[in-house]
Amino acid sequence: MTQAEFMTRLRRGLAGLPVTTIADIVADHEAHFADAQAAGRSEAEVAAALGDPDRLARELRAEAGLKQWEEKKNPSNAMAAVIALLGLGALDLMFLLPLLMGVLGALFGVLVAVVTLFVVGGFVFAMGPLAAPPGGPITAFLAGVGLMATATFLGALLTVVTVGVVNAVVWYGRLHFRLLKPAMDQA
Amino acid sequence: MPEAIEIQLKKGVLALCVLALLSHADSYAYEIASRLTRDIDMGEGTIYPLMRRMQSDGLVETYLVESQSGPPRKYYRLTAAGRQSLAQQKAEWTTFANAVNDIVGASA
Repeated sequence: MTQAEFMTRLRRGLAGLPVTTIADIVADHEAHFADAQAAGRSEAEVAAALGDPDRLARELRAEAGLKQWEEKKNPSNAMAAVIALLGLGALDLMFLLPLLMGVLGALFGVLVAVVTLFVVGGFVFAMGPLAAPPGGPITAFLAGVGLMATATFLGALLTVVTVGVVNAVVWYGRLHFRLLKPAMDQA
Repeated sequence: MPEAIEIQLKKGVLALCVLALLSHADSYAYEIASRLTRDIDMGEGTIYPLMRRMQSDGLVETYLVESQSGPPRKYYRLTAAGRQSLAQQKAEWTTFANAVNDIVGASA
């Protein structure tokens, strides 16, 4: 493999990462080729020693994905981190996927319940006082506010639990990170 | 399976080796990779994911040095956290290696 081929495949594998990150990684590897050339090694030799560029790109992406999740915990970063770990084979699909699906399903169910509760609260809040409820309009009004507050609280709790679950998955993935293995297998 | 053991061993000490090399002198990736490839037969491509991870963990930091030929070169140096991590890992490694040597030496 020539340097150009190696760099093309690496670049393609990194697509989707922040532009500055890609530029950084590309510069690292170009410097590596340049240094090796100065030491009298051929492009093919260096490319072989560096290993499979697709695999290398996957490892670098996984690292970037985990870092993003640790810096900013939002749904898209959570997905990115989990997908990156799956791509690396750091998460055992057969074992973990059914478990994960169960947990995610349960979390989604709770989310639907919370949203429903909030909507019902809003309905009681807005319409209740007009419908001549038992205990008078003020009671219905306050009950509506109470239901919405409860839903908000449960929503916050749900967020905390979800962040915890993704953290646990990332921890598990890190533990099983095969980051260094393939490069040494081919050495 | 001696090969599997070897891989696990190297994997475990690679970060320690990089920290130790950098504690002697600041260095750049190609130099670190060449040294580790020569001495412990590590895949060269391994160094870049490892250095990025150590950088994001705050163990090393980078600075650029102008070079006569080509673009400026990226050097790595240890941070305070890196030095602390090195001291800790070194102590763990020494204890472990001594214990293994004792056992292996005694039974040989």
